[in-house]
Amino acid sequence: MNSNSTPSAAPPVARLIEAFSRLPGVGPKSAQRLTYFMIRMPREEAEALAEALISVKDRIVLCSKCLNITEDPVCAVCTNERRDRTRICVVEEPLDVLALERTRAYEGLYHVLHGSISPVNGIGAEQLKIRELLDRLRDETVTELILATNPNLEGEATSMYLQRLISPLGIKVTRLARGLSSGADLEYADEMTLANALEGRAEVAVDKETSTE
Amino acid sequence: MTSGRPNLFTTEAVVLRHSDLGEADRLLWLLTPQRGVIRATARGARKPGSKLGGHIDLLCYVKLSIREGRELHGISQADTIDAFRNVRTDLGRLSRGLNIGELAERVSVEDAPAPAVFRLLVNSLGWLATTQNADTLVRWFALRLMTITGFKPELGACVDCGNELEPDDHVFSAERGGLLCPSCRSQGSDALHPASLGTIKVLRHLARSDFPAVESLNIGAEERRQIERILRSHTNFVIGRGVLSSAFLDEVRDWPEVGPVPGGIRAD
Repeated sequence: MNSNSTPSAAPPVARLIEAFSRLPGVGPKSAQRLTYFMIRMPREEAEALAEALISVKDRIVLCSKCLNITEDPVCAVCTNERRDRTRICVVEEPLDVLALERTRAYEGLYHVLHGSISPVNGIGAEQLKIRELLDRLRDETVTELILATNPNLEGEATSMYLQRLISPLGIKVTRLARGLSSGADLEYADEMTLANALEGRAEVAVDKETSTE
Repeated sequence: MTSGRPNLFTTEAVVLRHSDLGEADRLLWLLTPQRGVIRATARGARKPGSKLGGHIDLLCYVKLSIREGRELHGISQADTIDAFRNVRTDLGRLSRGLNIGELAERVSVEDAPAPAVFRLLVNSLGWLATTQNADTLVRWFALRLMTITGFKPELGACVDCGNELEPDDHVFSAERGGLLCPSCRSQGSDALHPASLGTIKVLRHLARSDFPAVESLNIGAEERRQIERILRSHTNFVIGRGVLSSAFLDEVRDWPEVGPVPGGIRAD
């Protein structure tokens, strides 16, 4: 937001509005609302917020192995001896690690690419943490690489690119299953989702002890 | 195109670019036949289970119901007409699809009808899904796009003096917009690209033919390189800057075909 859009705001207020409006998903109106909320906030709360922001910038680093966001040189997942070191799950963003950890279904390691290949935005493979991934695959005893990029065109492009690079290394490459989401109606599914669901269909296992004879 | 309800219209569109918006929304750049490039939001499209999400991925050819807005439109319904599955599941085809999509977006203007560009893009994505000669398609597309938008390079006569060109090797100037005869090439300080007689013949053939007629054209390696340089310099000059997706296309151009990694199935 420039000074033209807030002609009557005092300079410190205009500065804060401008800072908020740079945040993702925050438009000019929301930036103004947040600023005036801060003005009315008790001083100690404002100081705590400012300190939290500075602390994040000062203390947070990228894990030297998986490149996830962490406070230590190596993150808690990478230092955990009980994690399965033969599997690495490749994700686009640090938030994807949190989502996968919430499932409690995966016990391997991660690698965060910090983005996906997006040719129309000029983002190529060299801007992602792909070289670091290849270094890890040469050093570590990894037998399976799980590609967990987003199920959209850029995520698919990134996966296909990685598959091409990694397949010659003799490491098994797998991809998260794609298809219908839980609770969705079949009639609303698009053709790509349905085609993926058909391709990835699995045989229904019949439990012999509980099935009726 | 207008439906019965006020401020609501339906249109066909190809999704050319997108960015994240807010918590789970998506902002889309769409090429439409009647309104050229428009920007529209798709609420909740990034959430799993979204009714819109699967229809509005990049390069999807869709039918949309759109609520008209002052700055941004809002998508209320989407149906896929063709997702060009073969294009999006092969890295080589995909890189070329994104390249022609970006070119189409760069020459189109917001809210200005572009039915010919739209039809050219849809047809070309359809051909890209099946052709064995994807590079020729990209070159043909670039030339046809320049032609229908009024920027066709001069390939028949010297672009400076207008004299007919002898059947010989010549040079191409993007700045002047075409081939130059031997006496005009030395005037001016613009970059000149070599154009052999073979290159000129192929360019003329591409310019006057539909894609099926040139699909199986066997173009020599040197001619391919010259045509690539000529068409890129010409399109870059017309749109005012380089095409961002060309770098990725160049990187994967000669890779062997790579299909998708099967979801949930081990690829060993």
